[in-house]
Amino acid sequence: MIWKDKYLIGVPLIDEQHQELFRRVTDFVEVLRSRDEWEQKVDKVNETLEFMKVYVVTHFEDEEAYQREIGYPDLEKHKEIHNNMIQYVVNVAEAYEQEGFKEDLMQRFAGKLLAWLINHVAASDQKIADFANRKDVSGNDE
Amino acid sequence: MTNKMLAPFSNATREVFKLMLDLDVVTETPEVIDTIVGPNDKLNISIKVVGDLSGEIFYRFPKETTLEMVKIMSGMEFDQIDDFVTSAMGEIANIISGNALIGLSEQEVTCDILPPQIIVGENGADTQEGNILSTTVRTQIGDVDLDIILHSSVDK
Repeated sequence: MIWKDKYLIGVPLIDEQHQELFRRVTDFVEVLRSRDEWEQKVDKVNETLEFMKVYVVTHFEDEEAYQREIGYPDLEKHKEIHNNMIQYVVNVAEAYEQEGFKEDLMQRFAGKLLAWLINHVAASDQKIADFANRKDVSGNDE
Repeated sequence: MTNKMLAPFSNATREVFKLMLDLDVVTETPEVIDTIVGPNDKLNISIKVVGDLSGEIFYRFPKETTLEMVKIMSGMEFDQIDDFVTSAMGEIANIISGNALIGLSEQEVTCDILPPQIIVGENGADTQEGNILSTTVRTQIGDVDLDIILHSSVDK
């Protein structure tokens, strides 16, 4: 996954979290796509999945707090997108455990996560930046 | 079936290709056709639409285009269409269709979409018949076929 500066929204905390998400998903995909046997990579995959479950929630909460702070009008819609993604991650993690840590489910999860994250950061979150810039409330003056 | 219905989908396709892949696209003038003959060797993704309009949207990606799109997103090489690739492409079709519904809602048409269905390789896709609005989205990494079969579900 390639981070691009056009993804920056101008809020240091959120931008750092986005970059960390990109790094983690990149690591996840690289491990998953390596030619190693599944048994050799399953621990690293599980570790990253656990991290994602926690970090995604933290990031979404911070992002929603910022939207609240600037009076972002589409906060509820954005929260719904976040909640749907959290539910998807939880459902996949449960199915993954119940099915005995199978690789094909993780491959599908990673493919969707890759596309979802790029769209979310490149499109959905840019609307927050656009709103903040229009209202001149980015909170990024210091 | 009118070109008015196509506009939200072609606009959404253009925006998503630009934002996610940094690719400019040109959408050909659409034509209404009766039949799409299947199977084919492309990655076929269908998304069912329910609500004021009901029907199905078909996205058909050539293999090389598919692999290049996933390479652009991931920065990694892919040589076959596997679970990872189909899932990433299904999400792209989902994103385009979801954005198109926002465009339709501006025409006071309210719809929802169902999760993408993916058919690839020798199984191809079933032959589709009906009033099909068909166009080609041209990109520098290949052409994507977009076929729309939508019918009004309500009397307006």
